[in-house]
Amino acid sequence: MESDDLRRALIAADPKLSKFNPLPRILAFDEFNTGTHGWTELIGNHDGHGNLDTVDKHMRDFRPPQLSSCDFFDTGTHGAMSGTYALKVATRPVTGHTGVAIRRLTMAQRGIVQFETYFTYKSEAATAESSLGNRFGEIEWDGNLHPSEAQFGCFTIATDLCDGDGVRYHTVMRYQNTDLDNKLTRRWVYPVVPEPTPKENLHNQDNLVATEDFTAPNPEDWHPLDEEPQFLCYNEVPTKVNWHYLRWQFDTRSRTNVELQVNDRVMDLRDVPVPHYPDRYDGLENLLNFYVSVRTHSPVRNFLFLDSALISVDW
Amino acid sequence: MTEPYEAAWAGEARWFVRTLELEGEQPSLHLVTQISPDGLHWCDEETPELVTTEPGLVSWRVREFGHWLRLRASLRGGDPKAKVLIYLALKS
Repeated sequence: MESDDLRRALIAADPKLSKFNPLPRILAFDEFNTGTHGWTELIGNHDGHGNLDTVDKHMRDFRPPQLSSCDFFDTGTHGAMSGTYALKVATRPVTGHTGVAIRRLTMAQRGIVQFETYFTYKSEAATAESSLGNRFGEIEWDGNLHPSEAQFGCFTIATDLCDGDGVRYHTVMRYQNTDLDNKLTRRWVYPVVPEPTPKENLHNQDNLVATEDFTAPNPEDWHPLDEEPQFLCYNEVPTKVNWHYLRWQFDTRSRTNVELQVNDRVMDLRDVPVPHYPDRYDGLENLLNFYVSVRTHSPVRNFLFLDSALISVDW
Repeated sequence: MTEPYEAAWAGEARWFVRTLELEGEQPSLHLVTQISPDGLHWCDEETPELVTTEPGLVSWRVREFGHWLRLRASLRGGDPKAKVLIYLALKS
């Protein structure tokens, strides 16, 4: 038996790993039933006095991720796909608010990196007090369609990468469920500018707002991958949980996107540009950070849940 | 009211509240743990309200709280203002 066949057979025989398709070396296998595995709140940079007032206004409140048992008012404890707990990233119920969870690694070599996860996304269920009614955006409740689907904004998977020689860049993919007018778009989009840094914003605080889209603040800087919407399974009410498969590859040797698979759709990303920062960075050598974020376009909390995540490389 | 935090996995919790600034006429900060079965509907937990009247660090424990935690805080006194950092430390 060839060694790769043996490796594949061992992965296939392990019920925890067989739902993934890892590259030869697994860097991290994060099953959130056993903890947060280093996924933590992102906070912006602050000064040498520990004064959090010096954090960029739009980076002060990304909220810590939570280990969620996916419990809901109507059914009780749902649980994750694997065991009881999933990682939940939650926004505040404030239009434009973003919740972020980040995981920080470094690169031992450059090459293909793959991020896989099983995820789901939800708006918060309504109460009599928080309900926005039976119509929202373009959706009117008819027994199947539910206004909560139009109350979900977008979720993002992204990186913060820096070579050993100081070239810093991000690969970023966003599922935009609705536009800022709460109209369903269901598109994969990507930013054509690098994320503004705290150094760039240091003397710019009066121009920042708390709900700014920190990845790329100008909506025109988000371009659709193609004209095809992707319909994901929301399943009619915000208290039904269905897990989706996502596999995303990028290449830190060529600093390019490679491929995104979400359920049965595989998208070639090789032509998606990856903007670099013009300045070289010291102190970020071999940075290999991943983040997931969720952003609400309505005054309703939005949630992104990860059942588990696996990061693998080809070296 | 803080944002709801889901912590079913934790057997014990401890709030730490760092009051950085507390200003006004005889200001006092009143802190109460709240619990919820679903993150939507809330009631006070059994631990008595904690009252702080000056800057500094205070802490109290919570056990057997179920799935969800948040903090209800209110300021009393004449034109009171406060600046606080709130930590929720959880253990299984």
